[in-house]
Amino acid sequence: MLELIDIAKTYRGGKRAVDGITLRLAPGMVGLLGPNGAGKSSLMRIAATITRPTSGRVLWHGTDAVARPDPLRAALGYLPQDFGVYPNLSAPEFLRYLAAAKGLSARTARARTDELLHLVNLTEAGKRPLKAYSGGMLRRVGIAQALLADPEVIVVDEPTAGLDPEERVRFRNLLSDLAADKIVLLSTHIVSDVESVARDIAVVAGGRLLYRGTPEELLRRTTGLVWELLVRPEDLVAVRARHAVSRMVRTPEGVRARVLAGEPPVPDAVAAEPDLEDAYLATVGGAARQVAA
Amino acid sequence: MMPATATRPTPATALRPILGVALADVRDRVRQPAYAVILLAAVALGWLAVPAAGSHWVILQIGDHRGAYNSAYVGLATALAGSLWLALGGFYVVRGVPARDEASGVGRLLAATPLRTTAYFAGKFLSNVLVLASMLVVLAATALTMQLVRGEDRAVDLGALLLPFAVIALPLMVATAAAALLTDTLPGLRGGLGNVVWFFVWMVLAVGGQGPGAPLGGIGVYGAVRSMHAQVREQAPDARGEFSLGFTYTETPLHTFTWSGFTPDAGYLLSRAAVAGLALVVALLPALWFARFDPARGRIAAASHRTPVATVAPATWAAPIPARPLTAARTGGWPFFRLYAAELRILLQGTRWWWWAMAALLTLTAFAATGNGATRIILPAAWIWPVLLWSRLGTQAPEGGVDALLGAIPRPARRALAEWAAGVTLTAVTGLGPGAVLIREGDTDGLASWTAAVLFVPALALALGTVSRSHRLFQATYLPLWYAAANGMTFLDYMGATRAPGQPATVPPTLLALLAGLLLAGVLTRGAGGRFGWSRRWR
Repeated sequence: MLELIDIAKTYRGGKRAVDGITLRLAPGMVGLLGPNGAGKSSLMRIAATITRPTSGRVLWHGTDAVARPDPLRAALGYLPQDFGVYPNLSAPEFLRYLAAAKGLSARTARARTDELLHLVNLTEAGKRPLKAYSGGMLRRVGIAQALLADPEVIVVDEPTAGLDPEERVRFRNLLSDLAADKIVLLSTHIVSDVESVARDIAVVAGGRLLYRGTPEELLRRTTGLVWELLVRPEDLVAVRARHAVSRMVRTPEGVRARVLAGEPPVPDAVAAEPDLEDAYLATVGGAARQVAA
Repeated sequence: MMPATATRPTPATALRPILGVALADVRDRVRQPAYAVILLAAVALGWLAVPAAGSHWVILQIGDHRGAYNSAYVGLATALAGSLWLALGGFYVVRGVPARDEASGVGRLLAATPLRTTAYFAGKFLSNVLVLASMLVVLAATALTMQLVRGEDRAVDLGALLLPFAVIALPLMVATAAAALLTDTLPGLRGGLGNVVWFFVWMVLAVGGQGPGAPLGGIGVYGAVRSMHAQVREQAPDARGEFSLGFTYTETPLHTFTWSGFTPDAGYLLSRAAVAGLALVVALLPALWFARFDPARGRIAAASHRTPVATVAPATWAAPIPARPLTAARTGGWPFFRLYAAELRILLQGTRWWWWAMAALLTLTAFAATGNGATRIILPAAWIWPVLLWSRLGTQAPEGGVDALLGAIPRPARRALAEWAAGVTLTAVTGLGPGAVLIREGDTDGLASWTAAVLFVPALALALGTVSRSHRLFQATYLPLWYAAANGMTFLDYMGATRAPGQPATVPPTLLALLAGLLLAGVLTRGAGGRFGWSRRWR
C-alpha cells in the first residue's frame, strides 16, 4: 500500500501548493481530479519521489519513502506531464537506457522494450531517432517507459495530453487493465478521462482534498443541484453572475443552459440528472465559494 | 466589421516593440539567481583590478610602474579589466537568447504577432547590451569604492573615472552583445562550437586590439596607453618595460606614477561610435536568415523537447494491436555496465565522422612524435578537441527534459557514476596517443599526470554541468584553464603538458586525482540528495 499522510508542500515564496492531503492507495485506480493549479502535479511529484514534501509522510508498504525512496522507486512507473528525450537515440535505445537505470537484466530489458513498443504501436518507427517523432508518439514512448519495470505503482500526470481521441480511449483502457492488480494514480483535469475508468475519485482544489469516494456517491451529493433552463441571450450575464453554468448551447429560441444551484434559478427551470462533470464543478465551485466567503 | 483605424507610424510606435522585447528579456534575466552571481563577479573583478599597495599581482602595468590610485587610473584599470574579462565571460552570460525563446515557447507566440524580425533582434540586442552594461555600472561603482578604500588619492573626479567605461568598455560590450546574437543564429555556431570559437576570437581581440594599427581603434586602449607611457617617462625617465594588461605576478610591488587621464579626440570618439554602429548592423544581420521559430525551417535549440516535428509516419495507436504477453520484469545482471554503455552512447550521440577523423589524426600524430612533442603539442590539442562533448556531462538530461523521467528511478548515484565513467572513457580515448607514447618511453611521472587528468576533466565537467544544468559553465571554465596550461602557466598545468620528460608534474597527480574525487563525491552526494532522491533539481 502507498500512503500519503497529511502531505503539505510550500514552495519558496510561500505558495502552499498542497495543504494537508491524505491518500491511502491500494491496488486499483484512483482518478485525481482538480482544476489547473489545484496542487495535483505537486502531489503527483511527491508520490513519484521527485519532490520532497514540506511536511507529512509517504509510506510504501510501511517504509518511510521520504527517508528511503529507492524501494518505492523500484516499484514505480512514472509518466510526468512534461518530459523530454535524448533526440538522437531511437526509442529502443532510449528505453533500454532507462531499463538499465532501473536495474533490469539485459534479457528483460530487450524483451520488455520490444513488447512495450509493440503495445504502443511504435515497433515500425522504433528504428528512427526520437527527434523525428510527433508529440503523440513521444507520449507513447513515455507510456512505454513507465511500464518498463512492471511497476506495482503507476503515477500518470495528465497522460492524455497530446493523444488523439482514439489514442486516449486506448490508453484509458490500458490503464484500466493495469489497475486490476496495480496501484494507478491518474491525475487529470479532464473529467471524461476519469469517468470511464476510475471507480475511486479524489477531487482536489486549492491544495486540499475535497472529496474521496466513488463517482456514484459524488453524483448522489449533487442530486437536486442541476437545472436546465432556456434564457434570453441578454439575461445570460445575470444568470452567470448568480450561478455556476456547467454548459450552454445557443439555439434559435435562446440559450439552453445547465446551471448548478440549490434551488430553481428561474421558475421554469427543469431539474436535471447530474453527470460527473456537474458533480465535479459543484464540488470545486463549492470550495471556491467557501474560500471567497 | 469596423474598419481598422489607420495609424501613421512614428518613431515612437517603431521603438515600442523593440523596447517591449528588450524590457521583458532584461526583466526575465535579472530575476534569475544567476544574475546576482554575475554582479558579484563584477564586484570581485573590480576588487582585483585595484590591488593593495604591497600586492604581488597586478592587472595593468607599464613595466615596473603602475598608476597611483586616482580616479582616472582606477577608472581605466577597472574599465580595462572589465573590457577584457566581460568580453569573454559576458559573452557566455548573454548567449542563447533565441534558443531560450524557442525552448520556452515564447518564440512561437512572438512569431505569430506582427513583430518584425528586425525589431525582435534589435530588442534582443538591446537586452544583451543592457545586461552587460549593468555589469559595467557595478564595476564603476566598485571602482569608486576601491579608490576610496585604497586611499592613495581620495579626490574623486567622476568624469575621469567614468570616461574609460563610456569610451572603452561600453563599445566593447556592445560588440560582445552583437557577437553573441550573431553566433546564436549561425548554423554550426549556435551550439557549443560558438563558445569555443569566441574564446579564440576574444584572444585575438584582446591581444591584437591593443595595438595602434588595430581596425577601428581595436579595443580603444591605445590612446590611454600612449598617454601613460608619456607620463611615466616624464616622472621616471629610467623606467623600462611595456604596457601589460592581464592578471600578472610581480616579484616586487610596483613603483607608482601619477596619471592624469586622457582626453579623447574627435577621431577617437568617432572610431568608438563606429564600433557600436557596426555592432548594431551585425546584431540585425540574422534577420536575413532567421526562420522566425518555424520548426519546419530549422531549429535553434537542438535539444528542445517542446516542439516535436514528426518526420516519420505517425503510426496511430488506435488500430487494434494483437495482444502479446509481457515478459516478467527481472532485475540483476550487470546493469552498471549497460548503464555505462548507454551513457557513453548518449554522451557521443550525434557526433559526426569528421570529429572522429580529427581525433584519430591527433592520436596517430602523437605516435609519430617524441615524448616531449606528444605531451607539449599533441596532448593540449587532443584535450581541447572533446570540449563540447565533455560539456554535455551533467547537462543533457536537464537540458533535454529527460530529468523528469530520471528523477523517479532508483540509485541516481549509480547513474552519475556511469556518466562520469563515460566521460573518463572519452578523455582516455582522445588522449590515447600521448598516453601510449608516455608508456612507450617509460615516463611514469607523465603517465601519472595523464591518468589524473583523465579522471579530473570529466569530474570537473560533470560537477559544473550538474550545478549549472547548462553546458556553458564548463566551457567558460575549461577554455581559460586549458589555455593557461597549454601556454606554460605551470601552476595550472593539469595535463602535465609543460613538464620536461621524466620530471614530475607541477600539479601533483595525487592532488588532481583527489580533486577529481571530491568533485565526483559532490555530484554523487547531490544525487543522493538525502538518501538518494528528493533533491528538487537533481537530474
